[in-house]
Amino acid sequence: MLKVEKLVAGYGKVQVLHDVSLEVPEGTLVTLIGSNGAGKTTTLRALSGMIAPQSGRIVMDGADIAGLPTHAITRRGMAHSPEGRRVFSTLSVADNLLLGAFPRVTGARPKGDVAADLERMYALFPRLSERRTQLAGTLSGGEQQMLAMARALMLNPKVLLLDEPSMGLAPRLVEEVFATIARLKQQRVTMLLVEQFAMAALEVADFGYVLENGRVTASGPAGVLRDDPAVRAAYLGQHG
Amino acid sequence: MQILAQLLVSGIAVGMIYGVIAFGYQLTFATSKTLNFGQGEALMLGSLVGLTVVSITGYWIMLPIVLAFGLLQGSVVERLGVRQAIKTKSESGWIMATIALGIIFKNMAENIWGRDALKFPSPLPEAPIGFMGVNVLPMEIAIVVGALALMLAVEFFNRRSIYGKAVVATANDRDAAGLMGINTSLVITFSYALSSMTAAFAGVLVAPVTLTGANMGGALGLKAFAVAIIGGLSSGMGVVVGGLILGITETLTGYYVSTGYKDVPGLVLLLLVLSLKPSGLFGVATIKKV
Repeated sequence: MLKVEKLVAGYGKVQVLHDVSLEVPEGTLVTLIGSNGAGKTTTLRALSGMIAPQSGRIVMDGADIAGLPTHAITRRGMAHSPEGRRVFSTLSVADNLLLGAFPRVTGARPKGDVAADLERMYALFPRLSERRTQLAGTLSGGEQQMLAMARALMLNPKVLLLDEPSMGLAPRLVEEVFATIARLKQQRVTMLLVEQFAMAALEVADFGYVLENGRVTASGPAGVLRDDPAVRAAYLGQHG
Repeated sequence: MQILAQLLVSGIAVGMIYGVIAFGYQLTFATSKTLNFGQGEALMLGSLVGLTVVSITGYWIMLPIVLAFGLLQGSVVERLGVRQAIKTKSESGWIMATIALGIIFKNMAENIWGRDALKFPSPLPEAPIGFMGVNVLPMEIAIVVGALALMLAVEFFNRRSIYGKAVVATANDRDAAGLMGINTSLVITFSYALSSMTAAFAGVLVAPVTLTGANMGGALGLKAFAVAIIGGLSSGMGVVVGGLILGITETLTGYYVSTGYKDVPGLVLLLLVLSLKPSGLFGVATIKKV
């Protein structure tokens, strides 16, 4: 579904990613792990067009989307739940979710049943259901994370990018987030997950890539990576 | 007492005009953190285009034409003066560019319509209505009603329609709005278009009372800017109250002190607000992240 070849990207003159290649087959959950500053978030930002790639190909569903503006990439079916949640704080929970479906409501993507999908999100995240009319800025961190994920899902995306959905959450909520990701995987949502909790990510994922200083240094089925002594020592020790 | 009431009435009408122009400043500031410093010239152009069109079509058909002209003029300002500055994250490029465009518009207007003040036909009777001893011009009532109606219409659009919500989302977080599939560059162009449309509408509202002309924009634009600062660049309520404060203090000072000093209290208030509550009387303080 998503195939990245030799992606080079960065900020200004600083090159962060060096020839990153990875693949996310349809219906699978792929995780990108690595230490802080390895380029995980930068990779996602380059995929969704928030920063323009300097070179390389990003092929989604057969079409090269590298270099398109963010909104055009979203309209082609890539949803990105960004680092730091970035919910629209002065809008209600319901409006945030509706905006997730903006390309569907305005005809840029197949409409489907937006109202039914809204209800599906409220079923998946009951906490949001209780707070439909509340302003997103007044939600707790965990609720905002749920909202950011639900908002991205409202696109009915071909690929869902999740950037550190567990960041800053209490352990109980981190478990809840991973349980939700597992449920989405059962529903065969194609996902690329960036996570600091490498062990937890590899437990839920099908396949994993290890990113180090902007380069992919290891990759393989999640189970194999989890047992790889080098990967364990470098990334899994502290988060077990 | 009657004189005071009379002054209040004129002050309110003038203040609503300031308020509606200031509302235009807010529209672009919300989405792009930039302002059109040629807002006064957008008002002047709207009014003069209205003057030319009104003689051909009559008043009511003139109104939508002027509104459409305002939308177009605002889009031009954004494309020529602002877009590049936003793209390069220039802190001041848009300031110089919108001022320059304003001067160009003013020169064009001077060449087309001349430098003199021109009379604008009033759609309503020009005889004042006596109300408890106070004379109110029908056009003054139209100014208050028209200004409020326009602001409410924009507010309604923002809250109810998906496109309005896209505007609010862009104002909230431009990057995140882009991730929703919203073309945020287009939203910013649109906010400039809407802002100039607001100014053009204010131009035709005020012209029957004040006369029109190529020089009408500068002072109005500047005072409305003061109102936007006093009321807060983020508060719709603030510009109405700020506009009324400035309009009323102006007319009161003009009568009780001297017309030569009528601009002083409002500007003193501006200085006070800037030093005591820079986000405006009704504004929410924001911290600029570096």
